[in-house]
Amino acid sequence: MTGTPPPHPEDLRLPPLRARGRWPLPGPRVAIVGARRPTPYGEAVAERLAMDLVRAGVIVVSGLALGIDAAAHRGALDGGGLTVAVLGTGIDVVYPAANAGLAGRILEAGGALLSQFPDGTPPRRGNFPRRNWTMAAISDLVVVVEAARGSGALITADAALSLNRTVMAVPGSVFSALSVGCHQLLRDGAALVQNARDVLAELQGPRVVQDDPMAPPEREDGDAASTPPAGDDLLRHLSDVYPLDPGVLARRLGLPLPEVVARLTRLELEGAARRGGGGYLRVRSGRQGCGMDRAGAG
Amino acid sequence: MAFTAGVAPPRPGPYPALVLASVLGCQVHGLEGRPVEVQVDVSAGVPGFFLVGLAAGSVREARERVRSAIRNSGLPFPLRRLTVNLAPAELRKEGSALDLAIAVGVSLAALGRPSPAGAAFLGELALDGQVRHVDGVLVAARSLARHGVRELFVAASDAAEAALVGGLRVFPASTLAAVVAHLGGEAPIPPYQGRPVRVEEGAVEPDLAEVKGQEAARRALEVAAAGGHHLLLCGPPGAGKTTLARCLPGILPPMTIEEALELAEVRSVLGELPAGRPLDWTRPFRAPHHSISTAGLVGGGPRLALPGEASRATRGVLFLDELAEFDPAALQALRQPLEEGRVVITRSGGPAAYPAHFQLVAATNLCPCGWTGDDRRPCRCTPAAVQAYRRSLSGPIMDRIDLQVSLPRTPLEVLAAEADGEPSRLVRARVERARRVQLERQGGLNAGLGGADLRRWAPLRPAARSALERWAEARGLTGRGFHRAWRVARTLVDLEGGGPIGEEHVLEALGYRLLELAA
Repeated sequence: MTGTPPPHPEDLRLPPLRARGRWPLPGPRVAIVGARRPTPYGEAVAERLAMDLVRAGVIVVSGLALGIDAAAHRGALDGGGLTVAVLGTGIDVVYPAANAGLAGRILEAGGALLSQFPDGTPPRRGNFPRRNWTMAAISDLVVVVEAARGSGALITADAALSLNRTVMAVPGSVFSALSVGCHQLLRDGAALVQNARDVLAELQGPRVVQDDPMAPPEREDGDAASTPPAGDDLLRHLSDVYPLDPGVLARRLGLPLPEVVARLTRLELEGAARRGGGGYLRVRSGRQGCGMDRAGAG
Repeated sequence: MAFTAGVAPPRPGPYPALVLASVLGCQVHGLEGRPVEVQVDVSAGVPGFFLVGLAAGSVREARERVRSAIRNSGLPFPLRRLTVNLAPAELRKEGSALDLAIAVGVSLAALGRPSPAGAAFLGELALDGQVRHVDGVLVAARSLARHGVRELFVAASDAAEAALVGGLRVFPASTLAAVVAHLGGEAPIPPYQGRPVRVEEGAVEPDLAEVKGQEAARRALEVAAAGGHHLLLCGPPGAGKTTLARCLPGILPPMTIEEALELAEVRSVLGELPAGRPLDWTRPFRAPHHSISTAGLVGGGPRLALPGEASRATRGVLFLDELAEFDPAALQALRQPLEEGRVVITRSGGPAAYPAHFQLVAATNLCPCGWTGDDRRPCRCTPAAVQAYRRSLSGPIMDRIDLQVSLPRTPLEVLAAEADGEPSRLVRARVERARRVQLERQGGLNAGLGGADLRRWAPLRPAARSALERWAEARGLTGRGFHRAWRVARTLVDLEGGGPIGEEHVLEALGYRLLELAA
């Protein structure tokens, strides 16, 4: 997808920014922000949304925090796109340290790290809201994926509104405390995000989306995740978003629990399933591995 | 010899000029009793009562109780120089259990009667001569029997406890006067007639039938019971971790007589055995609060260390809820009992050893507030706090836990609809069979198998070995982690009746490990 990016008048109040990597980058910028300790659902949304957006030429902006931020950066990188991290510390300080590798990947992929703070500034509580404001200022649009009441992501959304940027929010389960903030935004008039197509439509101004809104946006390459998995048909019953307890799975399929546990472990060894959130998840294509990396950071 | 006026001159009788009596008592130290010989010397001299032989304050007070008890029992108290020696002199004597032995010795000496051979006396005296309960009678009785004692006099309330030791004639002594009359052949005390000890069934409470859903945790509990593995339950508040842990004693095999006696000895030392019914056939379940001190957990005390929760839980279950909240030093102290099945505590009175053959069930949340991974409430913990919390879960205790299983929260509506689970009785039958397989093969439970034992007793089929090795490579499993999964796989096969370990067993065993926690 090409098209002239809408002008984003850099706000006069925008502080001078220090950058590592390429900056400024051409193209529309979408900030994806949310909880530091998201549910697997929120993480999956952020990752897939970022991946789909970069494939449409969007630059994904986020804050290099744990959780939704990291998932957004990761999705953008996995999609082969550009992503920008706005830091709340000095440009030479990576916080949290767990995301040092991610910061490196962002730079390698041609993205940028930005900061408004002097070199060597350590993480300070008061700096992060200011960083959130900057994130909104350099973006054309802000998507909030998961935010509990009082989340820092809501500060970014407020800033975006005061800067005349579009704010969008991803709905969640009405039982989930981590979606309360998003639902409040939606109630207040934020646009609803179901997939990347919704964001792209908003970016290019009013454009009627005539396709099935449930369908994911087209991509050049086939979506491997949507093809039925080969191998153990147990995989068909696993979600890549909601962790499933082996006991529940055994009951549902009428299989003995020991067999289900053994088969799940085999899928884990093959890299097709992983553990998380107290159950088992299907591994989305493009992300191989054994899940340990995620468990520690979550 | 010159006497000042007012003091009676030496008289002939009722005492001979020099009397020596010697009777046996016992000093309990840890779960060991050492016979104490009470030697009484009545000699000419200024009347007085001297107690020697490293007697602590509580024993020196015996003089007053003994004097009053003898007088109030209508027995003569020698108005001469009375020296009581507690031998061996290097052994520190504590408590009031020697009262009866001292009083009997003094009375026999005063009456000029011979000392009984092969008899021992245990009990505290009241001032009126009544014999009272003392702690540790079972431990003392067992040690005395080993030292050749054949007759034991104890308080009536302690008779059942002492009678658990075979080969002893136990005389329930109500008063000092009754004991002296018995020894003089005037009024024999009928020996205690205990029923022969038989193995009984323990109580099953709560029953596993009450646990609905939670298939994975139920399975892990059964495997833990079968192989003697320690178990970690991990899940949000309200998932049923405590109920599951409480079910473990009920699916373990009934206690053997030796196990019941071991437990009774610990309780005896603590003075917690109910009078008249000393053997309890229900396996203990101990759930100390996480604020417990090291001494409370493994044992301690100022001079002679008393058993702690680890020993109270012997042959049963020690449940540590909110494992990460425990004092790291206290958990560190659990290392010895986890490795050796016993605790040795050294205090000024010397080292004391207590059994601690407990099965550990630990429970934890995944973060300090407990709500991580639960969508009902957001987790309020900072990532650093979560990291610190999980770090505190690693360490020496986790190294000993073979099984780790995560419990999902079961929604109330599911709980209401779900059928009852399998009752404990059926699970226990499988556990007993699996234990028989292990005992016949290697003479112990799988939880105690080390690397060399595993190679000998737990051969892996080629596919099983390759699965274990692939996992170890992918996850960076340590040698200990490797052995833990191997041991669990051994138990899974033994639950099916034994045989070599297949790939499916190894894969299932690997499923009972939590990757979020240190492997």
